Amino acid sequence: MRVPLKIVAVLGSSVLASIFAGTAAQVRQSGAKAVVTETAGLALRVSAATSRAEALLDPLASDWTRIPAQRVALNRTPRLYDTEAPSEPEIPFVDVRLARAEGKLLVNMTWHDSTRDAAEIAKLPSAPTEGRPHKELTEATDRFFDSAAVMRPTHPPVNGQWPSLQMGDPGNPVSIYFWSASRGAAQMQAEGRGTTRRTGDTFPAQAAYRDQAWHVTLELPDVSAGIPLAFAVWNGSQQDRDGRKYFTTWLRLE
Amino acid sequence: MSLHQYAMVMDLNKCLGCQTCTIACKKLWTDRDGTQHMYWNNVETRPGIGYPRQWDQIGGGWKDGQLQPSRQPTLDDYGAPWEFDYEQRLFEGKGKPVMASPDPVSGPNWDEDVGALNGDDNFYFYLPRICNHCTNPACLAACPRQAIYKRNEDGIVVLDQERCEGYRYCIAACPYKKIYFNEITGKSEKCIFCYPRLEKGEVNACAAQCPGRLRFVGLLDDPGSAVHKLVHVYKVALPLFPEKGTGPNVFYVPPFNPPKRTNYGKSILEDPRLPLDYLLYLFGPEVKDIIVRLEVELTRAQNGGSGELLQLLIGRDAETRYQVGPQLVQIQARIG
Repeated sequence: MRVPLKIVAVLGSSVLASIFAGTAAQVRQSGAKAVVTETAGLALRVSAATSRAEALLDPLASDWTRIPAQRVALNRTPRLYDTEAPSEPEIPFVDVRLARAEGKLLVNMTWHDSTRDAAEIAKLPSAPTEGRPHKELTEATDRFFDSAAVMRPTHPPVNGQWPSLQMGDPGNPVSIYFWSASRGAAQMQAEGRGTTRRTGDTFPAQAAYRDQAWHVTLELPDVSAGIPLAFAVWNGSQQDRDGRKYFTTWLRLE
Repeated sequence: MSLHQYAMVMDLNKCLGCQTCTIACKKLWTDRDGTQHMYWNNVETRPGIGYPRQWDQIGGGWKDGQLQPSRQPTLDDYGAPWEFDYEQRLFEGKGKPVMASPDPVSGPNWDEDVGALNGDDNFYFYLPRICNHCTNPACLAACPRQAIYKRNEDGIVVLDQERCEGYRYCIAACPYKKIYFNEITGKSEKCIFCYPRLEKGEVNACAAQCPGRLRFVGLLDDPGSAVHKLVHVYKVALPLFPEKGTGPNVFYVPPFNPPKRTNYGKSILEDPRLPLDYLLYLFGPEVKDIIVRLEVELTRAQNGGSGELLQLLIGRDAETRYQVGPQLVQIQARIG
């Protein structure tokens, strides 16, 4: 695994230790009710689904119970800015299930989050709300929303060189499949920190909040074995947005 | 530093609190989905809670070269938009007057004309506010996406709607809380100093509509401009909260601090209607010198002397108050 010097400097040794410890099957925290059959190492297993991709899009579909969940440790970004209030890690792991169906990779993410931070943001474009000249506000101007994302290298790695975990590198971009509890799914691309941009494309995604946990399925184009994925979770109640989030390391698909 | 810097001077002695500037701005720029709570230009009564509520206490700005923390204002801080129960009153036979519905709990300009007491006397004045288009903008420094930039040709600070991801670090960083979040678009927005108007040689909408003629607009570095004269030559205008460190380019001629009714003949510094402390709080220690300077000018004019400064402050014609247009930026850019 490639750890750019920049990350070491930013994260500090204790966080790095937790990255490796977490991915090495030592996660002991419990809380989420998902049945976890194994803890992920540095690689993730992908199951071949017998169901149709469309059926698997429902994150609570019974088909998912036949696919093993792999527990992946989440790391909390340290404070990025002096002005940010520090915040303690609240979400220790995400349970990931991966299934291939009809040439798609379906990613099911489940994580414990005791606060559901979602608002029904009126969709654009649409007619004004009845009797009012403009769409009604949700009183969400000061709120941030739960979100999740899967990141993959945009191009197959050259000489085994994966892009930086920090949003890729110039010339070695990453593709991000981003889901937000308030605004739905959006595809993004990035070539390094601060370069993330929306491509304008969306992708199929469904989410459910049940028993104090988010269950989200994202449908990606198939990702072949050997290519890594990284996962991220944002907790709205902790004012997460931008790089202020929970993240995993790159995890290679078996 | 930009090549040039547009600036605005507002003479608080002339503001009548009519909100015409607010409505001019609202109709032109924030009459869209998600902007109901936004007033890029607002006029608040001072002393008062301000808009958004307590913005001067929330935080942000610079201290010792570091951005300062701040919480995000809530929708109630801005004043949740409300409607009026026309349906019930006009068509459903309820004879009472039209009322706001639901019952509002806050709003911009909520404490209009409340002011405060100085001894037994009530006092207040109006403070019109727009983005200060700062020389060292905290919002720009706080944005991790470089969505905010300062136009090199005229110093106007704008927010790129394509790059913005709605993280709102800028809102926290701005000590004047003059950036707003549009939850419908998921992006932040701010005053653009009416740059599309300036580029056509038209002055900002808030200034053009002001019946009090209290706004002066021009390039701060143009020796022929009214703003240059008021800020740098006559030195009678100050930025709001200069200690926040952002270098605002909106300046105020402080309220002239009129004497109490019974005390004509006394200096306004001897027996002020407005406590000087409050002006010191808003504008810093230089405000006292400015009051002395204005007092001298006023006395001279009252004694029949010529008063170029007072004539400029009266600013009868648009030509006196505004020196704007693309030709200024281009000509001076060549010199620069």
